[in-house]
Amino acid sequence: MAEGTFIFMVKRTVVSTGPVEPGKFCHLSVLDRLMEQNQVKIVYYYPSRADVEPGEWIEKLGDSFASAITNFPIITGRLQKNTEGHWIVKCNDGGVRMMEAKVKGSVEDWLKNVDREKELKLVYWEDMSPKPYYWSTFYLQVTEFENGGLAIGLSCTHLLADPICATMFFKAWADTTLSGIMSTPPFFYSLPLSKADNKNPNQGSYTDLIDYYKSSIERPTPLITNQKYATITLSFTDPMVRDCIAMAQATGASDKSRSLAFEALAALFWVCLSKIKGTNGRLLKMSLCSDMRNVLGLDQRFFGNCMVYNKVHLESAGENMLPEASKAIGEVMKKMNAEGIKDLIYWLQCNDNQTVPLMNGYDFMCANLEGVNPYLATFKDRIEPLRVSYYVEPVTGPGQVLIFRSAPGEGPLSRVAMATLPEDEAAKLCEDDLIQRFSPTVLMGTNKN
Amino acid sequence: MPPILPDFCNSVKLKYVKLGYQYLVNHILTLTLIPVMAGIVIELLRLGPEEIVNLWNSLHFDLVQILCSCFFIIFTATVYFMSKPRSIYLVDYACYKPPVTCRVPFATFMEHSRLNLINNPKSVEFQMRILERSGLGEETCLPPAIHYIPPTPTMEAARGEAEIVIFSAMDSLFKKTGLKPKDIDILIVNCSLFSPTPSLSAMVINKYKLRSNIKSFNLSGMGCSAGLISIDLARDLLQAHPNSNAVVISTEIITPNYYKGNERAMLLPNCLFRMGGAAILLSNHHSERWRAKYRLVHVVRTHKGADDKAYRCVFEEEDKESKVGISLSKDLMAIAGEALKSNITTIGPLVLPASEQLLFLLTLIGRKIFNPKWKPYIPDFKQAFEHFCIHAGGRAVIDELQKNLQLSAEHVEASRMTLHRFGNTSSSSLWYEMSYLEAKGRMKKGDRIWQIAFGSGFKCNSAVWKCNRTIKVQTDGPWADCIDRYPVHIPEVVKL
Repeated sequence: MAEGTFIFMVKRTVVSTGPVEPGKFCHLSVLDRLMEQNQVKIVYYYPSRADVEPGEWIEKLGDSFASAITNFPIITGRLQKNTEGHWIVKCNDGGVRMMEAKVKGSVEDWLKNVDREKELKLVYWEDMSPKPYYWSTFYLQVTEFENGGLAIGLSCTHLLADPICATMFFKAWADTTLSGIMSTPPFFYSLPLSKADNKNPNQGSYTDLIDYYKSSIERPTPLITNQKYATITLSFTDPMVRDCIAMAQATGASDKSRSLAFEALAALFWVCLSKIKGTNGRLLKMSLCSDMRNVLGLDQRFFGNCMVYNKVHLESAGENMLPEASKAIGEVMKKMNAEGIKDLIYWLQCNDNQTVPLMNGYDFMCANLEGVNPYLATFKDRIEPLRVSYYVEPVTGPGQVLIFRSAPGEGPLSRVAMATLPEDEAAKLCEDDLIQRFSPTVLMGTNKN
Repeated sequence: MPPILPDFCNSVKLKYVKLGYQYLVNHILTLTLIPVMAGIVIELLRLGPEEIVNLWNSLHFDLVQILCSCFFIIFTATVYFMSKPRSIYLVDYACYKPPVTCRVPFATFMEHSRLNLINNPKSVEFQMRILERSGLGEETCLPPAIHYIPPTPTMEAARGEAEIVIFSAMDSLFKKTGLKPKDIDILIVNCSLFSPTPSLSAMVINKYKLRSNIKSFNLSGMGCSAGLISIDLARDLLQAHPNSNAVVISTEIITPNYYKGNERAMLLPNCLFRMGGAAILLSNHHSERWRAKYRLVHVVRTHKGADDKAYRCVFEEEDKESKVGISLSKDLMAIAGEALKSNITTIGPLVLPASEQLLFLLTLIGRKIFNPKWKPYIPDFKQAFEHFCIHAGGRAVIDELQKNLQLSAEHVEASRMTLHRFGNTSSSSLWYEMSYLEAKGRMKKGDRIWQIAFGSGFKCNSAVWKCNRTIKVQTDGPWADCIDRYPVHIPEVVKL
């Protein structure tokens, strides 16, 4: 059998260790409901260890996962529609589906020649079945590499969690194996509303955000074509990011809602991809997706969707494309303040219709996942993850780039960017001059073998 | 038709009449002896001391007569003590507590059922209806192999389950009793549906390095009543071998027997059977009479296998798709009722107080001679026993027995709560029920317990135990972490 082939894959259900009180329901917010068509997929790689028996880790992880999900009844519940036709979660203790798999070779070998298609095999997902009451909303896959190493794939419906809280959940699980107690238990709140309920939703300082959502909801869902996508993972070290910030002349203090690293890198990708996609000197349409927990004053452990999309637009840029792009991005980010978000939430609640858009399928999407550090998920007896990959599926249209933190040792501003693009464009991305100027490490490319 | 006494229980006057009657008949010997003794004492007092001395001297005793009388008395006493059967003590027992990770809530069971029987929605509906009315709770456990979709019942997995269940129970028993493995003289393991070679008893001997001259037995195929059959066997062996310890292990291994087809009569066991096991230490050492928890009083076994219907009512066979499962016939409850009646008829005279037996006899004579239409008198077993442990075979079994024996809700509480928390663990369920009673602090010295188990064949076996010492509530045991939540109200139908 060749390296990288799956030796076996079996499915089971992991149940929480304590019974759930009967009759409990979890309601979903307006931001949650918009994300019904998407899924979040995260893959964590852990290195080889010589002293571990094969199969031992799968069993231990299954057991610890069972006790972790006891604190998250929303994860073990099942979706149902309430009288208003909205999704709610009935906490019926159904459990989470878990796949146990084994692959030939070692994790280090796998990482050397992995690509999008291969990596997605490490995370299991089933689309919503016609009877959602029997459909698990979260899936866990634990893949043991025969010659050492482990890959844990977590996938869930975007309806219940965004990548930020999925990462927090994973960390909480890892923490239970270290100390037996969950050091970061989740917070289940409803989203904060505007203080003034009688405020006219159309009046306000920032209606661009509401307009963007309005147009997203109203336009038809793009069809999922046969277009094949590839994902490139680029790792930017601390000095590289500082260079990029300097070149983008991104200014302003990095505060709660703004991150210079993100703005600079987002601008970088915006400019490069516009060139690759051939938009004749103009910058392509892009939307930004950012975590609003800090902005809204919510704890980082808030469980649920709290990432908001907004459009960024630059009509034309002159010679200094990068700084101007960065400036445009900075302005948009600045305007996404608490009041604006609360107005958006209020508007969504008032204009609640049943259509569910595909929020990230039209424009090119750039997501800021810097709010969490996935490398903090350390299991007992294991050192920290070798690598972490994020996916927000399905990918349609122009594609997306997700920017998140790298391993702690590499500096506070080091970042990893995962760009999912149509195959031919992905190949061009690695060779682009502007990107090459910063010479990031290509962690995952489009090797064709 | 003359009405039976219990129908008039509402009337207070008759209640007191009944109590008076019971007291009179049960203590008849005492009540006749007291006037006789009183008469003798009065006579003696009347005679006066000198007359008594004269009477004594007039009896001429010589040495030979005295010696012969003494020998005779000693001889009779020795014959009596020698022929008395040895007391069999239950020193202690341990029940297996499955890990929480093996828990199967209703929602998970139904989803798996739906995914495994994807082409048979009717069978899934059937299972759902059974589960709703089953009386099981959300904390019953199935072995790890059954948690897979589809289940992976390999022989290795079955052996794995057997090892976990049996060795955990044994370790727990060793800790509780301080027994050393080398002190086990008799080992009996009963597991109905899993019988590998070498046997499970050989597996235990290998693990704990038991003695080479151990008397080991492995009973398989005997159904849910095999636990009491093992106790009976242990008792007979302990009669034959003085100063011995016997360990009885009762369990049922679920892994290899999960029915994978969709025949309705065979799907029922999937819904009810759960992981469980118990290890019991019996002894006839005289020194154990201080620390033993119970003493075995009677074991009564009734087998209705001679009747074809009874024989076939719980039958393991292949369905139309050649999948093996245990088929339960529709007459199961009726046959169980018949078997119970037979068993009661045998056990009644052994345990019932004289008052009940007399009533039963009188009604029997009356039915035979005067009027066959008289309803048979159902003796009140509540006077013979303080606690009832009815095998938690299913809600229907417990309901039926509660009705037939006219038991109150408190009497069947142990059975119902065991069914709720652990499911039907087959032969070991009786021990979980005993454990429940102990955990609730209800076992007092002198209490009599009746264990009833039904099994394929069709068998009805009973064991009667007497509590040897008041049992303090313990901090370990399978009920330790959840006893405070019990008893729970179990609804007729749980909405899934």
